[in-house]
Amino acid sequence: MKLLTVLFKKEVLDAGRDKRSVMAGLYYAIGSPILMCVLFSIMLKQFASPDELKITISNADVAPSLIQYLDAKEIKHSTDEDVKAITLEISENYRQKMSEGRSAQVTIIADKSDDKLRKSIAQLERSLMQYNSEIASLRLLSRGIDPTVMRAVNVQVNDQATPESKGGMFLGIATLSIVLTLFYAAMNLAIDTSAGERERNSLALLLSHPLSSMQIVLAKSGAIATYSMLGLALILVVSKFAYAMVPWEQLGFSVNLGIDFILLCMVIGLPIALMSASLQVFVSFMAKSFKEAQTYVTMVLFVPMGLSMVTTYDIGTEVVQWLPIAAQQHAMIEFIKGNPLPVPQLVISTIVTLLLFALFSWLSSRMLKSEKVVFGL
Amino acid sequence: MHSVKKFKLGLAPLSILFTCLGMNVAVLADTHIDEKPTLTPCYVENLADRLLCGSIKRPLSDDKANAGEIDIHFAIIPAIKQSNPTEAVLGFAGGPGQSAIELAAIFNRNLRYARENRDILLVDQRGTGKSYKLQCESDDLVAQFAFNDMTADLNGLGKEDTLRCKSELNIDLSYFSTPIAAKDFEAVRKALGYKGLHLYGVSYGTRIAQEYTRQFPDAVLTSTLDGVVPMQQSLSAIGSAIDASMAALFTRCASDKACTKQFPNLDKQLEVLLTRLDEAPAKITVRHPRTHEKVQLVVTRLKLFSALRMALYSHSTRALIPLTIKQALAGDYSPLVGLLSSSDMNDSMALGMHSAIVCAEDWPRLTAASRQQYGQNYFGKLMIEGLDVSCPIWQAQAVDERFYKPLNNDTPTLLLSGGVDPATPPKWADLTMVEMKNARHLIAPTATHGVVSQTCAAKLVSEFINKKSAETLDASCLEKNNTKQFFMNLNGAIPQVDVSNDPEKKGDNS
Repeated sequence: MKLLTVLFKKEVLDAGRDKRSVMAGLYYAIGSPILMCVLFSIMLKQFASPDELKITISNADVAPSLIQYLDAKEIKHSTDEDVKAITLEISENYRQKMSEGRSAQVTIIADKSDDKLRKSIAQLERSLMQYNSEIASLRLLSRGIDPTVMRAVNVQVNDQATPESKGGMFLGIATLSIVLTLFYAAMNLAIDTSAGERERNSLALLLSHPLSSMQIVLAKSGAIATYSMLGLALILVVSKFAYAMVPWEQLGFSVNLGIDFILLCMVIGLPIALMSASLQVFVSFMAKSFKEAQTYVTMVLFVPMGLSMVTTYDIGTEVVQWLPIAAQQHAMIEFIKGNPLPVPQLVISTIVTLLLFALFSWLSSRMLKSEKVVFGL
Repeated sequence: MHSVKKFKLGLAPLSILFTCLGMNVAVLADTHIDEKPTLTPCYVENLADRLLCGSIKRPLSDDKANAGEIDIHFAIIPAIKQSNPTEAVLGFAGGPGQSAIELAAIFNRNLRYARENRDILLVDQRGTGKSYKLQCESDDLVAQFAFNDMTADLNGLGKEDTLRCKSELNIDLSYFSTPIAAKDFEAVRKALGYKGLHLYGVSYGTRIAQEYTRQFPDAVLTSTLDGVVPMQQSLSAIGSAIDASMAALFTRCASDKACTKQFPNLDKQLEVLLTRLDEAPAKITVRHPRTHEKVQLVVTRLKLFSALRMALYSHSTRALIPLTIKQALAGDYSPLVGLLSSSDMNDSMALGMHSAIVCAEDWPRLTAASRQQYGQNYFGKLMIEGLDVSCPIWQAQAVDERFYKPLNNDTPTLLLSGGVDPATPPKWADLTMVEMKNARHLIAPTATHGVVSQTCAAKLVSEFINKKSAETLDASCLEKNNTKQFFMNLNGAIPQVDVSNDPEKKGDNS
């Protein structure tokens, strides 16, 4: 045990000496939440309804009441440059039809495949529907009929969501970046301490000491996991402040990462960090050279990334919720939403994660017994 | 049990914030949590969001210990982002007699920007909603339609109704006046641990907001009064506001070519109609607005005027007023039936509580001079006559003289008035703020009663709350015309198009 501690210290120290490499990993932890927040802020502007919707309205003279109604809803005819490519065409016989109580036709001319227009088109359609229902109500009133007869069923919604739980997709992306830290923050170190050490021929030297190969693997994984956890702590703290600056409330929800969430992530993250470290060490040893290791590790990391994405976009089946990484990320999201933690999934996936850690460590230690691996032959 | 757990979870961020501030505050926060009433998730009509509801016990009377206790119910619309956990926006409903909690959907919409970072607190004022609602049965629509107020002994009936309602309620209305109710709001604030409140009152709600500010100035961070009722003026002054609002409508029609053509001399026409109904009420058979069954309708001046008065409150129904007058003159009362159709739906208004307020606050202070002044208008006269019948029966104790003093303080106050408001015209707000030192009055020229729900003022209110000052608000957006075009016929704002030279006819056949 004492040997293991000494070895662990040596690995941590060794990794720490390459400051640039350490910083490169940590830049991800600092940079990604800030970058996300900038992106989110831009996206929010797209989502939030604009103050004014400028469109082209043709034949407006025949429908002053409709034009006034739309104007009250901030939808206006304009010839400015920033006018949206939407035309509302009011039919020639609008006045006639309207005064006779028949449906007067208006046509929305726009490209519905244009993502930027979709929201504006929906806004226009909604306003026209509201105008319809207002005029219909007044027509009934003027005929001595209570407009409530049109509403056969009074549909009420009791939304179980809270402002915290409405964040949905945004929470997914936020937790995705947090989970991925455990894989990317110490990736360089993992490759350096395994494939790199082999290329520098110091691995053979290490093996010549009276140590078991398992002890070496565990010490290396431990050191890598330590840096991963450092990255995790960093990204959590940065996220806590960065996400608080995004004006989520304008969309009707809030993203609040509390101290309790940070602690939970650290606890959930530790087994993942160990598993991630042992996986990267194993893959690096499998590769023949440093460069090859870089390629393989990057490729292998697509697996956890995929699992995380499945959770982020909520496209997984019931089974995915029990898999490592997916289950842990799901638990994080549920915690932010204020929902009860999915404890069985979390426990099972944590156990599986630790078993994987054991498996990869065992595989690596076996490989270190082979001369082919140690000398990269 | 489940709900208690939810509640504690919700509190977690709050207590964390307190611990960050230091030991003393943390201890204080803990004791607050112990005292807090249980909050349970709840929903109200037309609002999908989950609210937190609760209640506290309050003595019916501060002086008489044996008078018993009542439950004061409240609801919290949680802030979207809880950046000011020690503050809330307190909404006061109008009426008097409306339940603030039942109107939560409207408060949520009016205060949607303010809610982005503050809770909205709604309390059912004593006598309304869930807080010991003082309600008596009223006639259904069929009975109201058939009732002839010209032949009936109105005073005798009023007396009878009041006596029946009094024995049904069997409670001293003196406990339900504004000054006493204000203390309930303070008790709720303390129980929930809010350090300061931003008040938002509408209509009568502005009166209780002012009274609350007077009694608990330290708890009030800002005060927004929308459709302002001055403390020093009786609600009976409403008659002239109704007439002015109606006159503004006639002026607008007269200044519009199409409207003048369709409805010439509208003001004269209304006079003719009312005089004709005075001479002989129209007795006709109409279709029930919902069941479509044939029912009797007696049209009197009172019914027509009341229906038009209610129509003045919203621009949608204002659009129908010229048509209603014209059709009625021609003997077609369908539009009037439409306007009357919702008159049996005022179940939401607690009429007992309404009487408690007006009989303790508005009626006792009527002098011969003010009676004369307010009675000059048809509706003012009607109101005073009604109060003279019912108030002596209710025997609600008159409020203290101090109640009628205008507020003299430096609380940041924003007063909002609609230019054509048929209830609380802009000059009422001017009267309200005569002695206020930190008040600003904004007028939306074309708005009716309740400016925030009709204009951009929702944004202004939120800005005012955030800045705690109304000085720098840019109120230019209030100038925007929000009126709706008059209905020229039963189908809309477009008068009948001459069919003979109509190209559409051909189009129809093809």
